[in-house]
Amino acid sequence: MWKTSETGGAHVEQAIKQLLPPCQIKCPINEDIQRTNVLISLLPNTMEEARGGIIQIGEHLYERNPLFNICGYVCGLCELECNYKNEGGAVRRRLLKRFLSDTYTDYLKEKPEAIIVKDRGDIAIIGGGPSGLMAAYQLSKLGYRITIFESGDRLGGALWLIPEYRLPKAVLSTTVENLIRIMGIDVRYNSKLGEGRTTVKRLINDGFKAVFIAKGTPNARQLTFGKDIVEGQELSGVMYGLDFLYEVSHGNISPDYFKNKKIIVIGAGNVAFDTARTARRLGGDIAMVCLECEDKSHRDGIPADIDEIRGAWEEGIKIHASRGVRKISGKSGKFEKVHCPRCTRVYNEKGFNPEFDTNDEIVLDGDIVIITIGQAADRELLKKEGLLDELGRLSADPHTLQSQVNPHVFIGGDVRRVGFMVEAMMEGITAAESINQYLNGENLKTVKKDYEPFGLPERPMYKQPTEVLWIPPEKRLHFQMFEKGLTLREAIDEAKRCATCGPCVSCKACISIGFEKSLYAVKVDEAKCSGCGVCVYICNYDSARLKSKDGKLTSDTDIFRCKSCGMCVPACPSSARQLVDDLTAAKISKTLTELA
Amino acid sequence: MATKPKVAICWLGGCGGCDEAIVDLNEALLGVADAVDIVLWPIALDFKYHHIRSMADGEITLSIINGNVRNSEQEEIAKLLRQKSQLVLGFGACACFGGTPGMANFRTKQDILNWVYKDAPTVVNPNKSRPQTVTRVDEGELTLPEFYETVKALNQVINVDYYLPGCPPPTDLIATAITATLENKLPLKGSSLAPHKSLCDSCPRNETKPLKIKIDEIKRIHEIEASPDTCFLAQGVICMGIATRDGCGTSCININMPCRGCFGPVEGVKDAGLKMISTLAAIIDANNDTDIEKITSQIADIAGYSYRFSLPTSMLGALKKRDGTQGEQVG
Amino acid sequence: MKKLKIVCFSCKFSWGYLTDDTLLAADIKNWVPIICAGKIDPEYVVEAFTRGADGVLILGCPEGDCHYQDGNLEARKRLAILRQALLTHGIRPERVKLVLSRNPDGKDIPVYISEMAKTISSLNQEPVSTERTS
Repeated sequence: MWKTSETGGAHVEQAIKQLLPPCQIKCPINEDIQRTNVLISLLPNTMEEARGGIIQIGEHLYERNPLFNICGYVCGLCELECNYKNEGGAVRRRLLKRFLSDTYTDYLKEKPEAIIVKDRGDIAIIGGGPSGLMAAYQLSKLGYRITIFESGDRLGGALWLIPEYRLPKAVLSTTVENLIRIMGIDVRYNSKLGEGRTTVKRLINDGFKAVFIAKGTPNARQLTFGKDIVEGQELSGVMYGLDFLYEVSHGNISPDYFKNKKIIVIGAGNVAFDTARTARRLGGDIAMVCLECEDKSHRDGIPADIDEIRGAWEEGIKIHASRGVRKISGKSGKFEKVHCPRCTRVYNEKGFNPEFDTNDEIVLDGDIVIITIGQAADRELLKKEGLLDELGRLSADPHTLQSQVNPHVFIGGDVRRVGFMVEAMMEGITAAESINQYLNGENLKTVKKDYEPFGLPERPMYKQPTEVLWIPPEKRLHFQMFEKGLTLREAIDEAKRCATCGPCVSCKACISIGFEKSLYAVKVDEAKCSGCGVCVYICNYDSARLKSKDGKLTSDTDIFRCKSCGMCVPACPSSARQLVDDLTAAKISKTLTELA
Repeated sequence: MATKPKVAICWLGGCGGCDEAIVDLNEALLGVADAVDIVLWPIALDFKYHHIRSMADGEITLSIINGNVRNSEQEEIAKLLRQKSQLVLGFGACACFGGTPGMANFRTKQDILNWVYKDAPTVVNPNKSRPQTVTRVDEGELTLPEFYETVKALNQVINVDYYLPGCPPPTDLIATAITATLENKLPLKGSSLAPHKSLCDSCPRNETKPLKIKIDEIKRIHEIEASPDTCFLAQGVICMGIATRDGCGTSCININMPCRGCFGPVEGVKDAGLKMISTLAAIIDANNDTDIEKITSQIADIAGYSYRFSLPTSMLGALKKRDGTQGEQVG
Repeated sequence: MKKLKIVCFSCKFSWGYLTDDTLLAADIKNWVPIICAGKIDPEYVVEAFTRGADGVLILGCPEGDCHYQDGNLEARKRLAILRQALLTHGIRPERVKLVLSRNPDGKDIPVYISEMAKTISSLNQEPVSTERTS
């Protein structure tokens, strides 16, 4: 059962089946969502008074996730699994994090450097994107000296490709720069893997004990139609989304670069929408072409976030769904038209296998085509570094991320498997753990955690989410944030909606703010319990239950679901339930005896 | 031959039902009568108080006392029997908790006398007579015991060693209690000689009751045709069984009447009424003020129902009436 | 006028959590901060009266805001029925009051208490009638 420590925290033996609220299971790094929701809901009413509390909450999040500032602008995976989504709307966790980062980003500049003795050896990290940065952070905390080899001139990796109207540059740069400063991480810019002393072999020889490769996916995918590469991709006026966004992020593109131009964007992932909406803000008249269909509930539906689709539509971007590109044609070396047959199906039982009806083809003309259909790792380079197996695959253990070809090498992030930013960050954490275990001579963990999600507690009423306001489309064709963040009042109210689905062991907010000394266990006196079931009815968390014992029903408690709220105690007609070590009744007796 | 243990059976403020329950032992009673020496039993035998007064202290092995205490004679006899007995058994709801007459404690003594001798619609009392403790008549002095302010349970005037609740206690528990005494197999002093759990534990309707009883309308037993197989609470009828000690053999339930709580609170609980209030509140299905108001106003008389047998020993019963004595009914 | 004794239970999630407890306690007598209004047993209320309290004030969270989902609702139901029983026994329902609101700095708690004291003090002046109304 629960044991209390001096800090009042409750300890529960690590269960093999981990119990978390569904939002924290969905979050690739299992962030303390519930706890921060509760803490935000208890902030003071004015920003002046709340600032200290916000920074404290931020410090707690930073401990595990030094990039949390960024999540509040670009993530929100947790909301997809929020139990509240079925009762009016998911808790707006992303905006709550954004609210925190509004204050915390400024504070980061003054956050003191960590004092860590780095005597456990040197680790090389190839790639300064989210995965590499997370690994660098975790390993630094463990006492390793980190050098990040970044091929470009700035840290942040693919995060720089996110347009400014979604993620302000100041937030990104402040976060990554201060991370390096605070943790004392060494960075070598313009250092490409495979050049100079930056090869796996030479790094190991130079004294690095391990190498983590997190160099992402710099190569844009080429357009194919069936098995063939589509003709015309070498024409002038044809470019790739990745390169386009790269140039925009470096400030190399003038604000009306696409004025009076017709731009065709091919693709329908989030990056394609980033491309299309960026191009729109540069003055262009945008049309999108994609294989996927408009029905997002279908397997073949457009994969981008619904908010992106809505935003694009509001901004006047036309989407030609269910269309493939058979050919890009031009004249005198310059692009003129795309030829788009109807795509009748995108996925079949075997997976991605689009089928077309070439009798139903439209032709779109334009000035520029931007192809944004995905990105890929630089396989040639990885092959040169000896990281591909005999079948030509990048081989790394999917749980430990250790290369199966070279044990000193660990691989994670998009380079291993393209995914969300936070998934890449989790791989950075995993790689750090694996590297640490490997260098300690321990067996690397291969146990995958099995999570059990909790449902929504019963409550008498449900509240609507805070409305999110966007600048009207005609006024937002610039690169400022168009989404209005939450005010302090809105943040408190929104955070209060959190129904705290998850078990106390994953939260403990009430203890950290001193409401309770510990989480009290419930004890049932089976000599008194008659199995009437009133406790089951009053418990909102499905913790109080009836079990069969010696042919009779008796009350029982699932300790992982119990919130120690104490409501079942007065409801029991036999006084059979009590909270162990709870001093409330004694305190009340004392107060009543000493009535003033 | 060893002398038989002496047993006194006495009624104080009771109705005679408890004595009747002992008679209901039938043939077993004869066995008891053989095994013991009954030295006092006003309903059945002709012993007088002075017989008891002349005994030595502790000479009576067991005094079985039923009825509550509301006048000076009852208190006097209770104390007399205590003095002369080794063990005192509080027999029946009146002795254990005050019983139904205990509901008189919802009024003051003044209120009651006014009603009985003045205000009740059928009273004809032109001389405004009231009972007096002493009345002089030609033949001498007539006395009446003093009528106390409140009804008291037995343990509020003397130390009670064991309790046998019920209105009346059922024959099987009576037999067990007497046997245990004679064989010296009684539990710790202060115990109730009845099961510890609530009536739900032995109620035949417990297994079929829904896991979550949700009352959305409260009905009185005479307002519906109650199903004989379904838990009363699930039918919206207030049944005290959930907060009442087990042991009666669900005698009321068996004839399709909800429990009224004559076995008093469950082991370890001081006030059955407050428990009933808590529990009833918990299983009422109402999510807003309107529904709460609607359903709770359907409760005819929560105080009378939950404290029917136990007001004198309850926490509520000990409170001073501060705001008027009319005891207005709600609803 | 005799000083009235009011026992005040307040829910930690909506009342006074922004101020240090010891600071607040200097201004609030007979105060019991509690984790949830739903945890208040009717026995506590009756015991308060037994010990000489003139009134019991319970400060719970606003409707829909209970951290444990419906503790304020449970408190409402319980007190609604308890008040009926108290009334039968000669204790006016105004002596048990439930306020569902929030006051994070807790500065309003003494105000609610003194307002309740005012309401109750008029009760104490009612004559204890011996006439029975029909």
